[in-house]
Amino acid sequence: MLRQELNELLTQTGPGSPMGALFRQYWIPALLAEELPEDDCPPVRVKILSERLIAFRDSDGRYGLIDEFCAHRGASLWFGRNEEGGLRCSYHGWKYDVTGQCLEVPSEPENSNFCSNVKLTAYPLVKVGDILWTYMGDPAKRPGLPEFEFAQVPAEQTFTSKRWQECNWLQALEGGIDSSHVSWLHSGALKTDPLFKGARGNQYNLNDRKPFFEVAEADGGLFVGARRNAEDGTYYWRITPWIMPSFTMVPPRGDHPVHGHFWVPIDDQNCWVYTFDYHPIRPLTEAERQAMMDGFGVHSENIPGTYRPARNKDNDYLMDREAQRRGEHYSGIKGIAIQDASLQESMGPVVDRTKERLVAADSGIIKARQKLRKAAIALRDQGATPPGVDPAHHRVRSAAVVLPREESFLEACRDAVTATPGVPQASV
Amino acid sequence: MTGQPILLNSCARAATAAEARFRINRTIAPARATRVVALDEAAATVVRRTAEGQWSNARFFTQAAPAPVAEGKRNVADVVLRSVDGSESWLSDELVAVDAAVMVATANDGAAVASAVGDACTLRGIMTAGLVLAHGQDTRLAVAALRPHARVLLVTEDENDVTEVLTALRA
Repeated sequence: MLRQELNELLTQTGPGSPMGALFRQYWIPALLAEELPEDDCPPVRVKILSERLIAFRDSDGRYGLIDEFCAHRGASLWFGRNEEGGLRCSYHGWKYDVTGQCLEVPSEPENSNFCSNVKLTAYPLVKVGDILWTYMGDPAKRPGLPEFEFAQVPAEQTFTSKRWQECNWLQALEGGIDSSHVSWLHSGALKTDPLFKGARGNQYNLNDRKPFFEVAEADGGLFVGARRNAEDGTYYWRITPWIMPSFTMVPPRGDHPVHGHFWVPIDDQNCWVYTFDYHPIRPLTEAERQAMMDGFGVHSENIPGTYRPARNKDNDYLMDREAQRRGEHYSGIKGIAIQDASLQESMGPVVDRTKERLVAADSGIIKARQKLRKAAIALRDQGATPPGVDPAHHRVRSAAVVLPREESFLEACRDAVTATPGVPQASV
Repeated sequence: MTGQPILLNSCARAATAAEARFRINRTIAPARATRVVALDEAAATVVRRTAEGQWSNARFFTQAAPAPVAEGKRNVADVVLRSVDGSESWLSDELVAVDAAVMVATANDGAAVASAVGDACTLRGIMTAGLVLAHGQDTRLAVAALRPHARVLLVTEDENDVTEVLTALRA
């Protein structure tokens, strides 16, 4: 349960809001690199943290993320022409470079200095892995670039997709921290999904639907451990890292690639979900990559040419009651990502947390909200840098291990939850 | 792609901000009964402070001592609890109609009580949670003592987490 004012504090990320200021301390995904595939390609409208922006890649391959609207009379630059080192408004020909600097105002005299005084808001846009990342905060406090392992491994070892989720970012993130729903909502996928099936750990999941939880602080956020009974004298642990503000990794299964998510607010009622899969030590196979593109694992099948899932709220996610009866999909909805999205969107654009009835098993969510709230207030009141800004905090992994019952998951898995190049994931 | 054709008035489409206004606005059920037990002296200090907050149906205990298995109705070792106001009661009586028991520890001293509380709660189907307050100390032994008996275990540097968890649980 949260008071209304706390719910608003945590869910509102527009300019001037405390949580918006918090998000603006981090490098966050702005779009996939595939959306700007070549120099002078069409610009892309980007809305994040309730700011309408436009991304483009100029003639020299430089990426830009600037105010969507021309400084002249407010026309959208999405209708502009991306050519000859800048983006030109198609209304009156004003032209901007990737820093938002106006380069030309054709109606002004030849030697006019007018355009030098015109500059649109612009944010850096940098490719790391498959993602173009932006930092929307104070340039003087810009941190080092992201060092998440999925974005650091060679291109053949990683795959990232993206989907639009029609709800506030926080209720989507909370699904990523909440490990207890896996044995229910996703139980069908454990048996059939090509990116999950066959792992020994799946059986532990299915055999024990009442896991115990441990929540421990990490430098950048939290580690949430869910333990289930395994063989005599042992527990099966699934360890989920959360790095602030909105990065989580799903514990792996067998030698399948490791996956996770990054939730980015579009506005207060929509978010982007960036979903990645990577293998720390080997290239993804053709079959794995194809499965990801087809929407298996934690990815989604999107409407071609868009990042909107084909199964969405307009078609009730193509609910299949027969598949539900057969046990193929516990909720009757195909695909782990859409199983999550269907329920999280059904909560409403911004869930009313004054009405919820949390239970002790929700302690990971309770702690995550507290850390977000404290960080936002400490930033607002003292200018404190929040956890997760330091790139060293990004070097984490999820893990799935079987441990003797007396062992502490964090002590035993200190190495397993640290991203180390060339070392395989800890997984059963 | 398979699936039923969807009518425009299907409920998934109703998940809009405007439609959210029509959700039934019924008063939330009364607060859940929660018992908070400190397992050591330092934890008792935190529990005393926490008890000063406004709680609907939470009771706080700063001392707990296992008692021998009693004759008659009690079939696991009972515990004598001392409340923040100094009154004493039996754990078995305190757990009647309770929803959750929260154990707070800073050290390994309370293993026996944790075991007794855990067993009593298991018997009655009561949810158990453990908070281990690290305060920069090595908490491994405290965590190991609580692990078998707390379905949820939160290891934290911040004593406010006791309040946070109780608030979230509507204690």
